[in-house]
Amino acid sequence: MQASRARLFKEFKEVQRERSADPDIQLVCDDSNIFKWTALIKGPSETPYEGGVFQLAFAVPEQYPLQPPQVRFLTKIFHPNVHFKTGEICLDILKNAWSPAWTLQSVCRAIIALMAHPEPDSPLNCDSGNLLRSGDVRGYQSMARMYTRLAAMPKKG
Amino acid sequence: MDFDDDYYSGGEEEDQMLYTDDDTDAEDFDFIDNASDSSELALSNRHHVRNYTVLSESDIRQRQEDDITKISTVLSISKVAASILLRHYNWNVGKIHDEWFADEEKVRSTVGLLENPVMEYKDASEATCGICFDTYPSGEMLDAGCGHPFCSSCWAGYVSIAINDGPGCLLLRCPDPSCCAAVGQDMINLLASGEEKEKYCGYFTRSYIEDNRKTKWCPAPGCDYAVDFCGGRGGGGGYDVTCHCSCSFCWNCTEEAHRPVDCDTVAKWILKNCAESENMNWILANSKPCPKCKRPIEKNQGCMHMTCTPPCKYEFCWLCLGPWTDHGQTTGGFYACNRYEEAKADKEFQEAEQQREIIKNSLERYYHYYERWATNQSSRQKALADLQQMQTVHLEKLSDLQCQPESQLKFITEAWLQIVECRRVLKWTYAYGYYLPEEEKAKREFFEYLQGEAEAALERLHQCAEKELEVYLNVKDPETDFNCFRTKLSGLTSVTKTFFENLVKALENGLSDVNAHAASN
Repeated sequence: MQASRARLFKEFKEVQRERSADPDIQLVCDDSNIFKWTALIKGPSETPYEGGVFQLAFAVPEQYPLQPPQVRFLTKIFHPNVHFKTGEICLDILKNAWSPAWTLQSVCRAIIALMAHPEPDSPLNCDSGNLLRSGDVRGYQSMARMYTRLAAMPKKG
Repeated sequence: MDFDDDYYSGGEEEDQMLYTDDDTDAEDFDFIDNASDSSELALSNRHHVRNYTVLSESDIRQRQEDDITKISTVLSISKVAASILLRHYNWNVGKIHDEWFADEEKVRSTVGLLENPVMEYKDASEATCGICFDTYPSGEMLDAGCGHPFCSSCWAGYVSIAINDGPGCLLLRCPDPSCCAAVGQDMINLLASGEEKEKYCGYFTRSYIEDNRKTKWCPAPGCDYAVDFCGGRGGGGGYDVTCHCSCSFCWNCTEEAHRPVDCDTVAKWILKNCAESENMNWILANSKPCPKCKRPIEKNQGCMHMTCTPPCKYEFCWLCLGPWTDHGQTTGGFYACNRYEEAKADKEFQEAEQQREIIKNSLERYYHYYERWATNQSSRQKALADLQQMQTVHLEKLSDLQCQPESQLKFITEAWLQIVECRRVLKWTYAYGYYLPEEEKAKREFFEYLQGEAEAALERLHQCAEKELEVYLNVKDPETDFNCFRTKLSGLTSVTKTFFENLVKALENGLSDVNAHAASN
């Protein structure tokens, strides 16, 4: 408990200091609970998520960083490896390939990389995975773009 | 049936030759006299040269140690590195040699045995731990040979989580995500708690058996032995192995031993029994009524020859409920309980009636085979118990009463071992019979003939060992001489053995003799 708090506090200070280091990621710690974080990440360019801003919720376990944080999308997203209803993410480094040398910041970077390189063979969103697996890249992209517009972009007017 | 003394002594000589064939077998055989529960072990030894080895936990550790030493000497690497290699290559020493000498660099990088650290921190006075991000004096930091520094308390946490996560801890790597350096047993010993070290060692031992294609754990509950199987099929013994715990099982499918029936048939049969077991239990849980006086009878002795309690005293066959007098050879009768007479479809029946008959027939057909399978199974259990009782209590008593040294009474143990083995084979031939296609009439007839002969022989043997022996346990000077009994029982043992060997041989070559016979006719 104490070790994880100390480590999170270090990450918190690092985030404060390097606020401009990575303009695509904005990590914020909950005011009253250091084990609850949220992040805003920008959809990577040249993907159907470009232009969108996606909100992630982090729940950090007491054994962090020996055990991975739980992360899910709060913003609706159409992606093969993200559950369409719950926002749960299927990503190896959040499960068995977790390393305690990862940080919340690096998890965000990994999620951005996942958005740019979906893995349709282990889908949490079968509709999305099937579109890609059947080779219908255009179909997948237009669906993903539509949901990005609907859910991840500020309403115009 | 007459057997003269020559016959008996001839049989003994042959047996002795069998035992002295192989030193280990002879040792194992001596062992049964002391430990009665190893009787099944002796059984399997009697029938074929062993093509497997039973490994205790210390044998496994010894073999691991040997392999580690071998690899470490040949490759000139540390023992820790050798064990990392062995685990990675599933304990395949040959493959490690091949790959290492073909491309050492490649093997080193896939396995995570770095020759030089990828970074240095020891020169600096302080270093930052990659997990807690705290700074410590370099001397207090540890790394997996790669130079990525972590403090000892973070290391301990990392190792502890990995070990408690399961056998994956055997392939643990440096916590740095970009680093492939393997964490060896030396680090574990340095960092893990006593309990965790024990767990790790357990996984390490298990990996030798579970990752190796030639070894398997004994499936008996609570048994810690493993079996190393070195023969292929057709080595005479099939896949049947017997563990030191006395559990006999098929090495291939880990079901109970089922020679001469193949694994597929056994799997089908077991699945079918599961599906129908409730029905079956309901039917078989009910005892059978005596065919004459109709009193319910529970079978409590091994053989099929039933005698109803006085005053009825009716003698009948448990399987067909027919009078026993029809079953002996003396009456010129024929032991035919193994046959399944297909109910003849009556052409005058209504169509619906016929349909019902077909369903009933298929059920009845299954019941027929299941009942014989299950009865032989319980008969075998009973025989095993009798054998133990014989070895622990009765032999001594018999020895006193008939003034025979116990070494002269081995023929009784032999007989019971034969009964136990035959009940097992017979049981599985009923699963075989169920799946033997009805159309193959010649094969069926041949199979049922062989099975019938074998079963009849076994019934005679079982009866003799069970009932006729009783007399000598109670009376000091019985009417018939004990030596006559000896000749009879050992003769029956030998005859039954031959019948079953023929049956096993015939089933193992798929009853192919039928075609030869048909051609010659």
